[in-house]
Amino acid sequence: MKKLTIFLAFLLFVGFSVQAQMQISGTITEDGLSIPGVSVAVKDNPTIGTSTDMDGKFNLTVPSTTEVLVISFVGMKTQEVVIGGRSVIDVQMEADVLQMDEVIVTAIGIKREKREITYQTQKVIDSELTKVAPTRAASALAGKVAGLQINVQDNGVNPNSQILLRGTRSITSNNEALIVIDGSIATSAAFDDLNPNDIAGLSVLKGATAAALYGSQAGNGAILVTTKTGSGADKFTVGINSSYTMEQVAYMPDFQDQYGTGWEGAYDPIENTNWGPRFDGQIRQVGPTMPEGYVLETQMIPYAPADNNLLNFFETGNNLTNTIYMTGSTEDSKFYVSFGDQRANGIVQDDTYERNTFRINASKKIGKIELAINASYLTDKTDVVGDDIGDQDRPLYWFLLNQSTNVPLSEYSDWSNPESYGYADNYYNAYYQNPYWAIGTNRNMDETNRIVGNFSLSYDILENLNFTGRASVNDSWGTGKNWRASQTYDPVLQSAAGVVNSFVEDYEFQKSIYTVDALFSANFDFYDSFTLKTIIGGSSYSESLRESGYRADNLSIPDFYDLSNGTGSVTGALINDAMVDGHEKRTFGFYGDFTLGYNNYLFLNFSGRNDWTSTLDKDNRSYFYPSVGLSFVATDAFEILKSGDILTFAKVMASNSTVYNDLMWYQISERYSQEVGFPYGGVNGFDLDNTAVDSEISKEKLNTTEFGASLGFLSGKLFLDFAWYKTVTTDLITRTTPSIASGALRYLTNIGELEGTGMELTISGTVLKTKDFRWDVNLNYASSETVVNEIYEGLEEIAVFTTGQYGIYAVVGEAFPQIKANVYARDPQGRIIVDAASGNPTTEDGLANLGKTTPDYIVGLGTVLSYKGFSVSGTVDYRTGHVYYEEGSDAMEFTGRSQASVSANRQDFVIPNSVIETSPGVFVENTNIQISGGRQSYWTDAYNDVKENYVKDASAIKVRELSLNYELPKSILSKTPFKKVIVGFIARNPWTWLPEENRFSDPEFNNQTSRGGNSISSNTIGVGGYLASPPTKSYGFSLNIEF
Amino acid sequence: MKNILKYISVLVAVLLLASCDDYLDVNTDPNNPTEVSPDLVLATAQKMTAEVLSYSDVQGKRYATLANVLMRNWSQADGYNWYPDEFRYNVTSSFFDRVFEDSYYEPLKNYTVLVNLEDTKYDYYKAIAMIMRSFHFQLLVDTYGDIPYTEATLRGENATPVYDDAQTIYEDLIVQLTAAIDVINNAEIPVAVGIDDVMFGGDMDQWKAFANTVKLRILTRQMSMSGRAAYITAEFGVIAAEGSGYITDNAAINPGYSQQAGKVNPFYMEAGFDEGGTVTMTNNATCASDHVINYLTTTGDPRIDFIYEEPTDGHLGVVQGLLDYDTPTPDAFVFDKVSNLGPGILKGHTQDLVIYSLAEVYFNLAEAAQNTYVSGNAKDFYEMGIQASFDYLGAGDATAYYGQAINNVAWSSSTPLEAIITQKWIATNSITAEQAWFDYSRTGFPSNLPVSLTATTADIPVRLMYPASEISANGANVPTQPNVFTTKIFWGN
Repeated sequence: MKKLTIFLAFLLFVGFSVQAQMQISGTITEDGLSIPGVSVAVKDNPTIGTSTDMDGKFNLTVPSTTEVLVISFVGMKTQEVVIGGRSVIDVQMEADVLQMDEVIVTAIGIKREKREITYQTQKVIDSELTKVAPTRAASALAGKVAGLQINVQDNGVNPNSQILLRGTRSITSNNEALIVIDGSIATSAAFDDLNPNDIAGLSVLKGATAAALYGSQAGNGAILVTTKTGSGADKFTVGINSSYTMEQVAYMPDFQDQYGTGWEGAYDPIENTNWGPRFDGQIRQVGPTMPEGYVLETQMIPYAPADNNLLNFFETGNNLTNTIYMTGSTEDSKFYVSFGDQRANGIVQDDTYERNTFRINASKKIGKIELAINASYLTDKTDVVGDDIGDQDRPLYWFLLNQSTNVPLSEYSDWSNPESYGYADNYYNAYYQNPYWAIGTNRNMDETNRIVGNFSLSYDILENLNFTGRASVNDSWGTGKNWRASQTYDPVLQSAAGVVNSFVEDYEFQKSIYTVDALFSANFDFYDSFTLKTIIGGSSYSESLRESGYRADNLSIPDFYDLSNGTGSVTGALINDAMVDGHEKRTFGFYGDFTLGYNNYLFLNFSGRNDWTSTLDKDNRSYFYPSVGLSFVATDAFEILKSGDILTFAKVMASNSTVYNDLMWYQISERYSQEVGFPYGGVNGFDLDNTAVDSEISKEKLNTTEFGASLGFLSGKLFLDFAWYKTVTTDLITRTTPSIASGALRYLTNIGELEGTGMELTISGTVLKTKDFRWDVNLNYASSETVVNEIYEGLEEIAVFTTGQYGIYAVVGEAFPQIKANVYARDPQGRIIVDAASGNPTTEDGLANLGKTTPDYIVGLGTVLSYKGFSVSGTVDYRTGHVYYEEGSDAMEFTGRSQASVSANRQDFVIPNSVIETSPGVFVENTNIQISGGRQSYWTDAYNDVKENYVKDASAIKVRELSLNYELPKSILSKTPFKKVIVGFIARNPWTWLPEENRFSDPEFNNQTSRGGNSISSNTIGVGGYLASPPTKSYGFSLNIEF
Repeated sequence: MKNILKYISVLVAVLLLASCDDYLDVNTDPNNPTEVSPDLVLATAQKMTAEVLSYSDVQGKRYATLANVLMRNWSQADGYNWYPDEFRYNVTSSFFDRVFEDSYYEPLKNYTVLVNLEDTKYDYYKAIAMIMRSFHFQLLVDTYGDIPYTEATLRGENATPVYDDAQTIYEDLIVQLTAAIDVINNAEIPVAVGIDDVMFGGDMDQWKAFANTVKLRILTRQMSMSGRAAYITAEFGVIAAEGSGYITDNAAINPGYSQQAGKVNPFYMEAGFDEGGTVTMTNNATCASDHVINYLTTTGDPRIDFIYEEPTDGHLGVVQGLLDYDTPTPDAFVFDKVSNLGPGILKGHTQDLVIYSLAEVYFNLAEAAQNTYVSGNAKDFYEMGIQASFDYLGAGDATAYYGQAINNVAWSSSTPLEAIITQKWIATNSITAEQAWFDYSRTGFPSNLPVSLTATTADIPVRLMYPASEISANGANVPTQPNVFTTKIFWGN
C-alpha cells in the first residue's frame, strides 16, 4: 500500500525538502474525547502541517527551528502551543463559543472569517449531505437550509430538481441559484452529475449581495460546492461507500371504486372510461368478442373493483451505488481519487439508469506556489419508456389513468404473446393501448458524458500579497435515440383502435462552458487597530452549445431504428422542429472587494464589478454595479454584553447591493425560423419570431437590502441566525404577453417592478450532551413573498403559462407566481349561480386569481441523536400557504375515476347553496333545478370546465430523510484490517402528509418547467400532475468502510 | 504597496488585452436569420391561412370544426367525445380562441411583414399581402364584430391595440382592396412573384380578380342591411369599372402538399388519413348529423355520396349531442356504421385547400344579381353555383338535381334568397362552412335546423367571445363580452 501512496504522490506532484527535522506527535481532545481532523501546523510556515487521525492523534515532522504550533479546528478556539523541546504534545481544545473565527468560503473562493461577513450564509457539511445516500446532492439539501427551496420535480431514474433561493425575482427569466463547483461557475446539471460522496461541503450564499462578485448570474444567490481534497495526515486511506435502496410508490391518487367501464351509464366492454353502471359483481365481458375457434375465449371477469389495479402496475425499483475512494495527504500535498458506480431500476418496468463517475483532486505546495487540480468525469446511460406513446402521443401515466376500475391491469403484462389478453388485438381497451405494450414499444435512450475540472495556481508573491488564477471547463456531450414501434390491429377485433405510426428520433449535443479567473488579494494592518483586505480580479465566461435532432417517421423495416429507415423526408426533432440549434455567449468582468476592519469587531465592506457581455447592444454592453456592507460584533466591542453568561456573542450586519442581469444570446433581435412543413418541394418558407423585441431592450436591475444578526447563547449551546431582506427588481427583462392582435405572442421588453421580501431564522443547538449521548437540533424557518408592483401602463398581468382556462400569471398587486383559473360565477353572498335551463353552474368571463404557488413559509427540522456508536437522524420539512394546479385530476375527470364524479352517485342533483339570477342582480335560491348529465356529461363537460376545481392546497409535511447508523467501536476494529465501519439503515421520503383536499400527487412535481433556460415556462411553478409517475419512497442500507 | 500596484497593473493589462472588442461579437444566431426575402414569407403566410381555415398542428381545431358542427354538417360517432363543447354551444372566452389568436400572430403577422416592405420593387408582394389581410380581417369581423384593426399587428410598437368599429373596418377593407389593385397596376419594375405564391403562382391578374371577389363577399354580407344599397351599388360600380372580374376557379392554397410527415394537406391530415395512410381518430369520430342526411336524402341530392362516405348499411347520421348511443340498439352508431366524410371532401394527401369556392362566388353573384347590383340572371348564377359544387365534389352534372321541383332546389320552386343561402350551405359543407354560419346568422337560412340535444339555448351562437388572452393582455380596450346568442354582427341587423 505504501508503494502505491508513493507512486500516487509521485504521479501528482513531486517535492523534496532537505533540512534538519524533528518529529512531534500527540493527541488532541475536547472534554476527554479525541477529535479527528484537527489541523496542526507550524506557525512560521503554515505549509508544514497535518491533521489528526480518527483517534485524535497526529504525527508531524517539523524543521528543528520550529518554536510554535498552531492547532485549529472548526468550532474550536485556535491555540498556539510552544513546543519547548517536547516531542509529545497533547492538547485540550476548547469549544469556540463565538464561532466567529469559523472560516466561510465566499464568492470567488475568497475565505473570510464569519465575523467579517456582512450577509447570511449557511454551510452544509458532507456528513449532513450523505446521511441517507442520496443519488443527487440537491435532493439532500431539502429542509436543511433556511431560504433554500428544493423542488424535486419528478421521480424518474435520473430526476431533476429546481433550486430556488429566497423565492423568485424575475417573471420570465431564470430564478434558479447559481452553482459553483470548486470555485468555478458551473450549472445545476453539473451539480446533479456530481457523485454526492465526493462533496466535502456546500456554502450557500443566499442573496445577491453574497454572490455579487460572480456577476450577472449571481442575482439568484449561489451554492458553492467544494469537493474533497484529501486528508488522512501522512496516511493513505482507502474507503468504500455503498448503499442499496428499494423504491416503491408512496401513494396513488384517490380513485373512485364504485363504477366501472362504460359510457353514459351503460356498460361497454371496450371502454377506457368508468361511466358504466354501479358495480354489481356480475361476470361480464371485457374486451372484444372473440370469434369462434380463436386462440382465446372472450374475456369474462367479475364487474367489481380490481384492488390496486394501477398501483400493481408499478414495480419495486432499486438503486445500488458504490463509491471507492482513496485519499491521503502529506505536509505539502493532498489527493482524493474516487470511482463511483450507480445502477438504478425504476418503478416502471425496464426503466434503467447507470452511471459512472471518476474524480481526481490533487494539490501540491512548492514553496510559495500551490497548484491544484480538481477533475471529474461522468458517463451515464438512461433507458426509459418513451413519452409520445400511442396514436395520441401521450405519456405513460395517461394510459394508466385511462384504465377501467374493474380491470386487473397487471394480468395484461404478457403483451407480446398473441395468445394473451395483453396482446394488442386482444386487449380490452379499444381507445388507449396497453401500458405494458407501451413499455416494450416506446423507448427513450440516451448517453451523456461530462467533464468538470479546474486547474488553479496560488502564488504568495509577498507575505501579504497573493495571486490566484483558475481555469475551468464544464463540457458535456451526448447522444440520444427515441423510438416508437408501429402497431396495426385486426380490423374485426379492434375496429376502433387508432393505428400507431412508428418513428425514430436521433439527438446529439455538445455544450461547453469555460471560465477563467485571476485575482490578487492583499492584506494590510495599520495604526494597530485597522485592517484592510483587498481583492482585485477579473474573470471571463464563455458558453457554447450545439445540438441536433432529426426524426424519421413511418419506418420501413420493423424494429430497425435508424434515420435511413423513414419514409418521407427527415424532419427536425428539436424545439420548434429545428434540426440544428446552437448558441454562444461570452462575458468578462473586473471586480474589486475592500474590507476595512476596526479592532476586529467592526467591518466595512465595499465591492464593485464591471461586466461586459456579448448579448447586449454594442454601445450598451458594459455596466458597473456596487455593493456595501457593515458587520459589527457587539460582544467584542462591549464586553459587558457577555456578563451573566447568557449571551456569548452577538453580531449584527447590514448590506445593500446591486446586480444587473443581461439578456440571453440572440434575444436582442427578432429572428425568422423555417416554418413547420417547409420545404414543400422547391418552395421554402420562413416565419417571423412570435416574440417581438423592444428595440431599446437593455439590462435589468436587482437591488437587495439585507439585515441580519448572529447570536450565540449559553456558552455555545444555542445559536441563532436571523436575516431580513428585500429585493427590488426593476426594468425586468420580461417576455410579456401583449395582445395577440399585435401579431406577437410575446413582447420582450424591460418592464415594471417586482419586490421580494423575506425573513430567515435558524436556531441550532445541542439539547443534551453527556460523555456518550448527544442530541443536536437544527430548526430553520424561512418566509418569502414576491409581489408584482407594476408591469406597464395598460397591462395588469403577464401570462407565464396558460391554456386559456388556467395558467401561471404575474398580476399587479398580487404575489408571484399566481395561479389563475376560470371560476364559478357567484352572487354577492358567494353562492354559485346556476343556469336556469340546465341547472349547470355558470362561470365568470375571465380567469380569477386563486393563490400563489410558492409557500408562505418553509420550516425545516433536522435532528441527530447519538449514543456511543449509534446515531439516529432525520430531516422533516413543512411548506404551506401555496396552491398548485393538479393536471392529473383534471385529466382524470374524463375517465370517470375521480372521487368527485361519484359524490352524487352519478345522479342529477341540485348544486348545494346555489342560486338563479332571475333578473340582473336578483338572485333567488335554487332549490329544485338539478344539474343535467349527472351520470357522465355534467362531470366531463360542465364540472371539468371549471378549472377552479383542480386548484389544490399545496401544503405538505415531508419526512425527507431518516437514518440509523452504527459505527463499530475501535475495540472491535483493532482486530480487523478496517479503520472504520459504519452501517446504516436509511429511508428517503418515508412519510408525507398532504391536506385532505389534495389526494392526487406530490405538489412539488412540475409538468412545465424546463431547466435552466429562459423559456417562457421555466417559472411555471405549480402546475403538476400526470406527466410524472406517482410519488415514491425509498429505503435501504448503507455501508461505509475505510481501510 | 508599490509591488502590489505593479502586479495589479500587469493583470489588468493582460485581461484588457484578452478582452479586445471582438471577443464579445458572437451574438449572431447561426441557425435563424434576422432578414429573409419576401418570397419565403409569402409562402409561409399562405400556408398559415390554410391552417386557420382548416386545422393546425397545434391544438387542432379551427374554423372547419367550429362551422361544420354549428351548421349541423358534422356530428359524432359512438365511442368518441370529440365535440362536447361544440354540441353544448359552450361559448366561453376559451372556446375556439385560437381562431382569433392564430389569425393575428400567424398569417396576419407575416402578411404585415410584406405590407411593410419599403422597397417598391416588392410591390406585387405588398399588394398580395394587402388582399390577404383584407380576406382575414373580414373573417375576423364576421366572427367577432369589433376587432383590433388600425393598431393591429404593430408588434412591439403597440402591445395593446384599440378595437375598431366593425362596419368602419368593413368599409376600409374595400378601400384597401382597391388600393391593392392600384399597387399592382402602378408597380414599376416589380420583382415577379413565382411559385412562392402558393395560391395563384404569381399570376397578378388572378390576384386582381381575387381582390374583387373578396369585395364581392364583403358587399354581399351587407345586402340584408337597410340603407346600404347606395354604398353597395357604388362599390359594385368600382369593381365593374376596374374590369378584372372575379375568380373563375376555386381559390385554393397548395404549397406542395405531399404524403410525408408534416407535409400533408392539413384538413386531410386531421379529418382524413395521416401520412402513413392510416385513418385518423377525427375521421372516425366525425360523421354526418341525422339532419343533414335527411335533408340531402329528401331533396334527392346526389352529393350525399361525395360529401359523406356511405356505410355498408346505407347512410346514417347521428343526432348532435346524443349521449346514449346504445338505446335502443347497442353499437348502432359506431364509426363504421355512420356516414363519415366522403370522397368528394377527402380527395387525397396532396389536395388543394379551398379558401373561397367558385360555388360561393356564383351564389354571391346570384344574390347580387337578385338585388340588381350586378347584371346577369340570378337563376343562372344560382345554377352555376350548384354545378360548381357538383364539379368540386366530382358529382357530375347537376341539371337533373336542380330540375327537381323541390323548395330550395329548383329556382322556380323557391324563394330566391332562401334557395341561394341554403345551396351555399350545402356547397360549403366541409369546405368553407364558416360562410354558411355567417349567412345563417344574417338570413336565418337554411331554416328548421335542429339544435343539439345538449344545448340549453334555442339556437346556435351568432358570434364568438373575445379570447381570455385579450381580457388578460388588452383589458382596457377589449369590449364587454357580447351576448353570443343574440348580439349579431352589424350586418345581421
